Amino acid sequence: MVFFSLFLVLMIITSLSLGYINIPIKDIITILYGKITADLQILKNINATWLAVIFDVRLPRILTCAGVGAALAVSGSLFQGILLNPLADPYTLGVSAGAAFGACVAIILNLSAAYVSVPLFAFMGACTTLFVVMFLSYSSKNPMAGLSSNNLILSGIIVGAILSAGISFLKFIANEQVSVIIFWLMGSFASKTWFDFQIVTLFLLIGFSVSIFYARDLNLISLGAKSAASLGVDLKKTNIILLVTGSMLAAVCVSVSGIIGFVGLLVPHMVRFITGPDNRKLIPLSMLAGASLLLFADTITRAVLPYEIPIGVLTALTGGPLFCWIFKKNRFK
Amino acid sequence: MELSLNNISFAYEGDMVIQNIGCSFVSGNFYSIIGPNGSGKTTLLDLISGFLNPCAGHIEIDNKTILSLTKKEVSKKISIVSQDYSINFPFSVKDVVMMGRHPYIPRFSHPSMDDFVKVETMLEVCGIKHLQDRKINELSGGEKQRCVFARALCQDTPILLLDEAFSNMDINHTLHMLKLVKQSIKEKNRLVISVFHDLNLASSWSDELLMLKQGEIKAFGNSQEVLTQQSIKDVFDVRSTVEFNEHVQAKQVYYSTNI
Repeated sequence: MVFFSLFLVLMIITSLSLGYINIPIKDIITILYGKITADLQILKNINATWLAVIFDVRLPRILTCAGVGAALAVSGSLFQGILLNPLADPYTLGVSAGAAFGACVAIILNLSAAYVSVPLFAFMGACTTLFVVMFLSYSSKNPMAGLSSNNLILSGIIVGAILSAGISFLKFIANEQVSVIIFWLMGSFASKTWFDFQIVTLFLLIGFSVSIFYARDLNLISLGAKSAASLGVDLKKTNIILLVTGSMLAAVCVSVSGIIGFVGLLVPHMVRFITGPDNRKLIPLSMLAGASLLLFADTITRAVLPYEIPIGVLTALTGGPLFCWIFKKNRFK
Repeated sequence: MELSLNNISFAYEGDMVIQNIGCSFVSGNFYSIIGPNGSGKTTLLDLISGFLNPCAGHIEIDNKTILSLTKKEVSKKISIVSQDYSINFPFSVKDVVMMGRHPYIPRFSHPSMDDFVKVETMLEVCGIKHLQDRKINELSGGEKQRCVFARALCQDTPILLLDEAFSNMDINHTLHMLKLVKQSIKEKNRLVISVFHDLNLASSWSDELLMLKQGEIKAFGNSQEVLTQQSIKDVFDVRSTVEFNEHVQAKQVYYSTNI
């Protein structure tokens, strides 16, 4: 845990120094120290361009990116726990398709001029999808079978498929805006502001606290519904709270940065090899690992590669093969 | 401790599964529920454990309805070994058995010394000590079932419900586990209700038998009185011979081959 936190801090500092303008790590530390202690004397001696680059451009982007990575990983571990399925990810319930659909509507209606509309529409789309999926998989006549993992996954897939078709239709009628839609869907952290960071952090803090509070119940749920209930877990309440928490985390991530795949699936999986399946260790460590991983990917597209590749594409292109390798190696040893 | 069911009924989407059952169970006894497939045995256990709520009637423990107790309080009174014992995540056997102690451990604290000792002894007596560090999802069906059994025993509740808890164990382990259960009935004055398919095991180990057919009680009472050729014919629709066996000191059932 300590190791992962240190690693994340180091990564943030390294990432701050890399980019179009290289700033030496020593100066970064001095600047951060000056800012934290509010020592104006130190800040006075620093190049004003550097300050602008760090505080207005890089730091918000880096922190937002780390926040999104963390939130996706926490959301992924929650979904895998509730759905009793190590293949689940934040997008299993169709949350991403809902968000994408909302964003497409906003782009086509040309609401993007109003600045917040696209993320806001994406968020609304995600929430609506979640409630539709939960409504489909719940029956008041047979509450025991309701919200079972099979029902949830199936309704998620159906709703997701309908929304995907809807997105295709919107692309078809979008004319020249189609490129805007496509780029939004691929995800990016370019020009993220402190406002984005605050939103992500707020939701991450809430989501993380809720998940840690219910982490032990999530362990018991993996024994099966009846055993968990006999050990004092209020199944319905816990399931609904954790589903909403996980989906909200995913929805916020999608609305801030577009669809970024594989982090939510891959990170909890890899971390489980280190910590074992105990959610009380898995969730915090996944959070740190997710933040580090996504930040690493974003730093590569931002500072190392000659052209900025959309981050969603990069995570899938690198995460996918890595996942295949880990899967093959650990499953059949 | 007395567990009483007062005229409870339960229906899944209109189909009556449990119809107006009223009976009571007293601690210090081993009760067995027998009956054909789909007769409502598992549903009855689910109602007792509070996993399902009856549509009509109510269940009382020492004259207090289960509904008035919190889930936490119920978890300290009733434990269950359910039919479904598959676990998807690679928890170690020791962790799974420790989960039986969770009702006693506050949410954010570590297990106490006492909890560790209880888990350790339970692993020992259930004969799964050599498996303690293995991953539960890599064990065989019978081994898994013994671990889940140990988990429920570790919960240390006055009422223990067994839903075909021996279905995948070999005869050696089945008898070993039954002996453990019987012992704990004597020592801790437990109340055990078990669903059995094997009528002979049910007859030789339990004090009382409850025969269920289509959600209704067909017979309930002393094992030796309930188990007759006629009652088996009525409930299971098979021809059999029922004799008192000196060796097991209980009635045993033999089925004829020409059905």
